[in-house]
Amino acid sequence: MFLDSWSIALVICGLVVFFMMGFAARSAVRVLLYWDPDSDSGRQIKLENEIWLTSTLVECALGVQILSLTVFVLAADHFSGAIVGAMCATGSLLANDFGVPALTVKIGGVFLYGFWIVLHQLDIRSERYPLVRLKYIYLLTLLPLLVLDLSLGMMYIAGLEPDIITSCCAVVFGEAVGGGTNLFAGFSHFLSLLLLYGSTALLFILGGLLLAWRRIGLVVVFGGVWLWFFLLALVVITTLFSSYVYAMPFHKCPFCILKPEYYYIGFAIYGLLFTGAHLGMSVAVTEPLRQVVGLEEVTERFQRRATLWSLVLLALFTAVSSWHYLRYLLLGGQG
Amino acid sequence: MSVLARHLNILDHTLSSLWRRRLKNLSVLLVFAGVIFLIASFQLVTRALTETAEQALVAAPEITIQKMSAGRQVAVPLAYSEKLSGIFGIRRVVPRVWGYYFDEVSGANYTVLGLERDRMPASGQLDLVLDQGESPAPGRSGAALIGRSVQQGLERKGGSLLSLFRPDLSMVSFTVAGVFKEETDILTNDLIVLDIDDARDLFLVPEDVATDLCVYVANQREVPTIAKKIADALPDTRVVTRAQIRKTYQVVFGWRSGFASVCLLTALAAFVIFAWDKASGLSPEERREISILKLLGWETRDILAIRLWEGILVAGLAFVLGCTLAYIHVAFFGASLFRPVMVGWSVISPSLRLAPTVQLSQFLLIFCFSVLPYMAATVIPAWSCASVPAESALGGV
Amino acid sequence: MLIELEHVTKVYNQGLANEVTALREVSLRIDDNSMVCLRGASGSGKSTLLSIIGCVFQPTSGRVAIAGKQLSRLPDRFLTLHRRRYIGFIFQNFNILPALSVEENIMLPLVPLGMRPMVMREKAAVLMERFGISHRRRFPAGQISGGELQRTAIARALVNDPPLILADEPTAHLDSRLSHEFMDFMADLKAAGKTIVITSHDALVTEHKAVDRVIDIRDGRIHVS
Ligand SMILES: Nc1ncnc2c1ncn2[C@@H]1O[C@H](COP(=O)(O)OP(=O)(O)O)[C@@H](O)[C@H]1O
Ligand SMILES: [Mg+2]
Repeated sequence: MFLDSWSIALVICGLVVFFMMGFAARSAVRVLLYWDPDSDSGRQIKLENEIWLTSTLVECALGVQILSLTVFVLAADHFSGAIVGAMCATGSLLANDFGVPALTVKIGGVFLYGFWIVLHQLDIRSERYPLVRLKYIYLLTLLPLLVLDLSLGMMYIAGLEPDIITSCCAVVFGEAVGGGTNLFAGFSHFLSLLLLYGSTALLFILGGLLLAWRRIGLVVVFGGVWLWFFLLALVVITTLFSSYVYAMPFHKCPFCILKPEYYYIGFAIYGLLFTGAHLGMSVAVTEPLRQVVGLEEVTERFQRRATLWSLVLLALFTAVSSWHYLRYLLLGGQG
Repeated sequence: MSVLARHLNILDHTLSSLWRRRLKNLSVLLVFAGVIFLIASFQLVTRALTETAEQALVAAPEITIQKMSAGRQVAVPLAYSEKLSGIFGIRRVVPRVWGYYFDEVSGANYTVLGLERDRMPASGQLDLVLDQGESPAPGRSGAALIGRSVQQGLERKGGSLLSLFRPDLSMVSFTVAGVFKEETDILTNDLIVLDIDDARDLFLVPEDVATDLCVYVANQREVPTIAKKIADALPDTRVVTRAQIRKTYQVVFGWRSGFASVCLLTALAAFVIFAWDKASGLSPEERREISILKLLGWETRDILAIRLWEGILVAGLAFVLGCTLAYIHVAFFGASLFRPVMVGWSVISPSLRLAPTVQLSQFLLIFCFSVLPYMAATVIPAWSCASVPAESALGGV
Repeated sequence: MLIELEHVTKVYNQGLANEVTALREVSLRIDDNSMVCLRGASGSGKSTLLSIIGCVFQPTSGRVAIAGKQLSRLPDRFLTLHRRRYIGFIFQNFNILPALSVEENIMLPLVPLGMRPMVMREKAAVLMERFGISHRRRFPAGQISGGELQRTAIARALVNDPPLILADEPTAHLDSRLSHEFMDFMADLKAAGKTIVITSHDALVTEHKAVDRVIDIRDGRIHVS
C-alpha cells in the first residue's frame, strides 16, 4: 500500500521528523564534544547559536509528530476502505502486527519531544545553561525511538495487504458480540466510571495540595497519577464515552470520534487529555531539576504553573468528554 | 512582557518586511502556489471520482453471481437461482443480461444492460437519475433509457429511433424513453438500459441463461455469510460482494493517485530545492539589517521567529491560493489541465462533471504534501540567517 | 552605571592564521554618571573595547562587570538581554535601516520586548518631539538629511531608556555644526543622569567641556595621560 496518498503523506511526515531530529542530533554531538562556557572562541559562539537551531528543530519536530499522529489515525481510517473486514481505523490498525506498536511509539514520541522542550525552556532561563549536557544526551537517546517510529510506520504500511481480513471495532471493543475477541471485556461501566471520576477527584486534591503545600513525594505521586489517568482515560473513552458520542451502543471506537460526522469532537477530547497529561507529568519529570544550581526558582515557578494548567485542562477534559454521556443520562438519548 | 505580544510585534515587523521585499517573495509564493495547485487538483479529482463511484455502488446489488468456466465468465443458467432457495436471508435473486455493443457508425462502444426492472428493489430510483422522459412500464418491450453520449450519437445521425444490430446483422429499433442526467455520467454516459427480454433478443441470449445473477439481501450484516454459503452451493461461480467492488475501486483509485503523487513529488522536490536556495541566500543589505537588529537587542530567536513567520505566511498564502485555484479548476473546469494525463478516466467519460466535496482530511493531506517539505527546507536556512553575528554591523564604514 | 574592566584581553580569530590581539590586559573603571572619551588612532582597539563594554561579545580573558553584575563568561543570549535593558548604542554610520520609516527605526529596540504597539508609538513620539523630527515620522529613513539621521539615531538609542549610552565615532561623518549639536545632546543626557562613553579622535569631542575624562588607547593598551 505504499502508493496510496495517505501512505506517502505518512512517509513524508516520518521523513521530515527524521530529518529535523537528525540535524538536531548533529548539533547535539558537537555540543557534547566541544561545549566550553568559558571560551569566547568562534566555535563556542557557533554552538551557542546552534542551541536555537536544535530547539527550533525539536519544536517543529514535535509539531510534525502531532500532525503525523493525526495523519496516521486518519490514514488507518482511510485504509479501512481497502481492507476487507475493516470498517474503521481500529480494523486497519489491527490488520497487521505493526499498527498498534506504531501508534504507541508515535504517542510516546509526542510526550518525549514535549519533555525535551520543557527542559530546554527551563535551561535557557539560567545564565549558565546548566542543562546543556543533559538536554543533548536526552536528545541523542531519542534517536532509537525515532528510527523505531519511522520503521514501524513503514512496516505497517508495507504489511497492509488490501485483502487481509481483519476485525472491525465493533468486534474488538464491543461487549460480547458473537464471541469476538474483546480487548476490554470485564470492565463494567460502573467500575470504569468510578475509577475515572475517582482519579479525576484525586488529581484535583493532589493538585490543590501541591499548590498550597509542596512536598517531593506529592509531586511524584501527582505525575504518576496523571500517567495512570491518561491510560485510564484512553480506555474509558474507547469503551464508554465513544459509544455515547456515536449514539450507538455497539460502536466503540477511539478513532471515529475524530471524524467530521461527530464535529471533530475527538480532537478536542484528545487535545485536552494529551496537553493536560503532558503538563501533569512534566511536574514530576522536572522535580530533579530543583537540585540544579540556578534552576531552583525557575523550576518551582514552572511546576506551579504546570500544576495549575494541568488542572484547568483536566476540568475541561472532564466536561467535554462526559458531555455526550451526561446528555444521554439527562435527556435519555433524545435529541 | 508576554510571549504573545512579542510574537505579535515580530509578526507585524515581518509583514512590513515581506511587503518591502514583495517581488522576491512573490516569486516564491507563485511557484509554491503552482505546486500546491497541481497536488491539490489531483487530490480533489481522485476524491471526486472515488465518491462518484461510491454513489453509484449504492444501487448495486449486494451480491453478484457470475459463472466461471475455464477461467472466463460465461452465461449463468437461470436454474442456479433455485439452488439458492435454501439459503436464509436472501430476499431475491434477479437475472441480468448485459454486454458491450460496438456501434460501427459512430465508432463508439456502448454498454447494454437488460434488467428485469419489476423485480429489482431499487428500480424506482432509475427515474430519479433521468434528465428527460421516464422509465417505461416494466416489461414493455421496445423502449430504452440511454446515456448522454448515446443520445449525442443519435442526434448526429438525426434519427429518433435507436437502431441496433443483432449478431446476425438483422436490425432492432427502440424508442428512446428517457435520457440519464449529466451528474451520473461516470456510469451512465455510454449506457443503454433495456428490458431483459429485449436485451436477450439483441444479443441472442437463450431463455434459460443470463449474464449474471443479482442477489439482494435483507440484512447487510449477513452479506459475507450468505456470500460464503452461495460460493459453497455453487462451486463453479464467482461470488462478488458490493464491499469487494468498493475496495477494488479504492485500491485502484488510491494506487493511481498515489502514483501520480509520486510524480508530483518531483515537482515538489524541485520547489524545495528552490525554496532552500532562496531562503539561504542573504544579500549584503539583509545581512546588515540582521546584525543591526541584533545590536539593538534582538535575540537570535527573535530573528529566527521573523524568518519562520515569513515562511508560515508565504506557505499559508500559497496554500490557500493553490487550494482555491485547484477547487475552481476541478469543480468548474472539470480538471481540464489533467485531461491528457488521466488516460483511463478520460476514455470512460469524456465530458465528466466533477463535484469535489471539501473535507478537512483532504486538506491535511495536501498540507503534508506541500507545506511540510517546504518548512523542513526552510528551517535550517532560516537559522543560518539568524546566526549572523551582531558585531558585523559595528566598526568601519 | 559603574563599569569595571579587569585585565581584559580580546583576541580575534584565536589560533588561526589571521589572529589579531585587539586588546591587551586592559583594566578600567568608569564612574556612574560620567562622560568618558576613548581616544586613539584607527585600529587601536577603541571599537573593540566599546563592544565589550556594550555586551556585544565576550572578552577572551579578564573580567567585566557593569553595575556590579559580572558579564564575563555569560552566554551570548544573556549578553543580549543585558544589552537591551541597559545599553543604548549610537554607531559611527548610525546603522539606520533606510527602508523603514523614522518612527519604525526608533521603535526597533522595543519590538522584541513584547510592548504594546500603542506604548511603543507613544515612547517614539515623545523622543521625536524632543529631537524635533516629528514631521519626519513617516519618512523612509533613507530620505532624510544627515542631521535628522543623527537625531533619529540618538532617539533610537534612548527609546528603551538605558542608563548607559555608547557612541562609536559618532562625529566621523558629521560637519562641525552637527558635531557640536551632537555633543550638546550628550551633555544634556549626562545632566539627566546617564553614563556616556564615546570613542573618537576628533578634538571637538575630546575637548568638549562635558567630557570628564579622556582615555588614550594605543595598540590595544591604555595609556594614562
Ligand atoms: N571582527 C574582527 N575580526 C578580526 N579582527 C578584527 C575584528 N574587528 C577588529 N579587528 C582588528 O582589531 C584591531 C582593533 O580594531 P578596532 O577595535 O575596530 O579599532 P578602532 O575602532 O580603534 O579602529 C584592528 O587591528 C582590527 O583590524
Ligand atoms: Mg572603530
